[in-house]
Amino acid sequence: MFFTQLKHELWKLFGKKRTYIGFGVFLLAPNAVVLMFRFSNAANGIRRTLEGGGYPVADFITAETIATQVVIPVAYLLLPLYVALVGGDLVAKETEDGTLRMILARPVSRLRLLTLKWLAGLIFSLMLSVCLGAFGLAFASLWFPQGGLFAVQVELGGSGGFSVLAPSDGLWSYALAHVLLASKAISVMSLAFLFSCFNMKPAAATILALSVLFANAILMSIPWFADYKGWFITHHLNLWQWVFLQPTPWTRIVESLCLLVGYNVTFFVVGAAAFQVRDIKS
Amino acid sequence: MIRLTQLRKMFGERVAVDALDLHVPRGEIFGLLGHNGAGKSTTIGMLLGQVWPTAGELRVCGHDVTRDRAQALAKVGAIFETPVFYDYLSGWRNLEILAGYTAPTPPARIREVVAWVGLTGREQSKVRTYSHGMRARLALAQALLPGPELLILDEPTNGLDPEGIHEMRETIRRLHAELGLTILLSSHLLSEVEQLCGRIAVLNQGRKVFDGTLDEARHGQSWVRLKTNDFAAAVRELRAAGLITADRDGEFIALTPDGAVADVVRRLVGLGFPVHEIAPEKQTLEDFYLSLMRRPEGESAK
Repeated sequence: MFFTQLKHELWKLFGKKRTYIGFGVFLLAPNAVVLMFRFSNAANGIRRTLEGGGYPVADFITAETIATQVVIPVAYLLLPLYVALVGGDLVAKETEDGTLRMILARPVSRLRLLTLKWLAGLIFSLMLSVCLGAFGLAFASLWFPQGGLFAVQVELGGSGGFSVLAPSDGLWSYALAHVLLASKAISVMSLAFLFSCFNMKPAAATILALSVLFANAILMSIPWFADYKGWFITHHLNLWQWVFLQPTPWTRIVESLCLLVGYNVTFFVVGAAAFQVRDIKS
Repeated sequence: MIRLTQLRKMFGERVAVDALDLHVPRGEIFGLLGHNGAGKSTTIGMLLGQVWPTAGELRVCGHDVTRDRAQALAKVGAIFETPVFYDYLSGWRNLEILAGYTAPTPPARIREVVAWVGLTGREQSKVRTYSHGMRARLALAQALLPGPELLILDEPTNGLDPEGIHEMRETIRRLHAELGLTILLSSHLLSEVEQLCGRIAVLNQGRKVFDGTLDEARHGQSWVRLKTNDFAAAVRELRAAGLITADRDGEFIALTPDGAVADVVRRLVGLGFPVHEIAPEKQTLEDFYLSLMRRPEGESAK
């Protein structure tokens, strides 16, 4: 029964055209960036860095490297937008459309309904993250050979260097990074879902979720807060990129992953509590 | 089937429903009347566990809605004004989704209900291509899928054309006659209620101002049209003689329960009032309803 209801939630979610906006953009955007790398001087910076470090350029200007370069900005800007859009819709759109009243005329509990919706959002977020990685690598593979992976290191204590990974490690790290990227997508979706549970328009839920993320990112970038970055969700949302660091800080990754699980549980519980006490009216 | 006891709902400082007692027996078509904002939809919302009551008790099918909502609503179907669906999905898929929140529903049952409401052949079309009437049928189908014993209809003919209203009315009759459903019909269309319901309750500003049969509503207070030279003076005399209880509109009087038209005529003629016309006024539900709405707050008919 639960899985049938989950299937129905997925029918609803994937029956809407707006659900596919993210997938559509993730088909187009990586393609455009890969072509830019292929037919312009965009890869010169990587080339110079590799030459400066004494690495053979041909081994690292690869599909994995280009795909990583493509995915990082998309995952930073566009992925949160699309998952927040869907997360903000999950409850608020049904309230706005009036279909929620039709559902809640049935003997289904509000908690069960929210669980179903959140799980549908989780599946969407997971699929979008995996598709982003798969599309990026697939398109990069059309123009670049397979090989090692070069990645600019994101801060984890202020370092701004780069990592080079052997071909076998590169592909594995790339795949693992996208599994972990799903934790970012799910967390942003959950944040939008939280606001969606309150009495507000779906667009407001999406905008609020993005505002929280942007405010976090802005505060985190202020030097005074450097010592407190562990308190910002945006810091932990970057954990997927730490897979590329050498050596990989597994403890920090697991710690941040646990914190994100905590954030998600909190978002769900607060949203469910708000939804439970709400009056659902036309 | 439905029992509400001292039900109260407040939205902030505003009282939406106040001290509402209501009993809808099994097998009845019960009309819930009231103007917009009278508290009908809030009451239905509370019945379905969508709106939390501030105080009071709600029992549906013998179960407390607040504490045991799943049991209470297991055999309940509901239709709301202007039914909404997932327009981008087919009618069939909508039925599967909505029925799935109650219990697993085999395709044969969906086919049966689709045929019952007359949607066969269009069930695979997207709902966005449906006319208003077809949406109303789909709404009925989703309400019937769980095999309900109680059907709650909140303004079911809203937005329908006269043909659609007639069709819906006939369907409600069929549901009652063929399936033996108990039906709670909320409406502000008096003619609709008059044609369908055996009993009614009237809400005004959140309070119940009448609860009884249609016959009681029609004959609860019989008005008599009186035309004489000085209506006001005649009314004073008749009141003093204890023959009438009320008057309205400068031409109607309400007789006391044991009063008779002949006594009124005899009294007036005896006092020298010429009686140009005196005739009992047949009260329609509309007259009764309007008289209830005109009453001072807190005064109820029954």
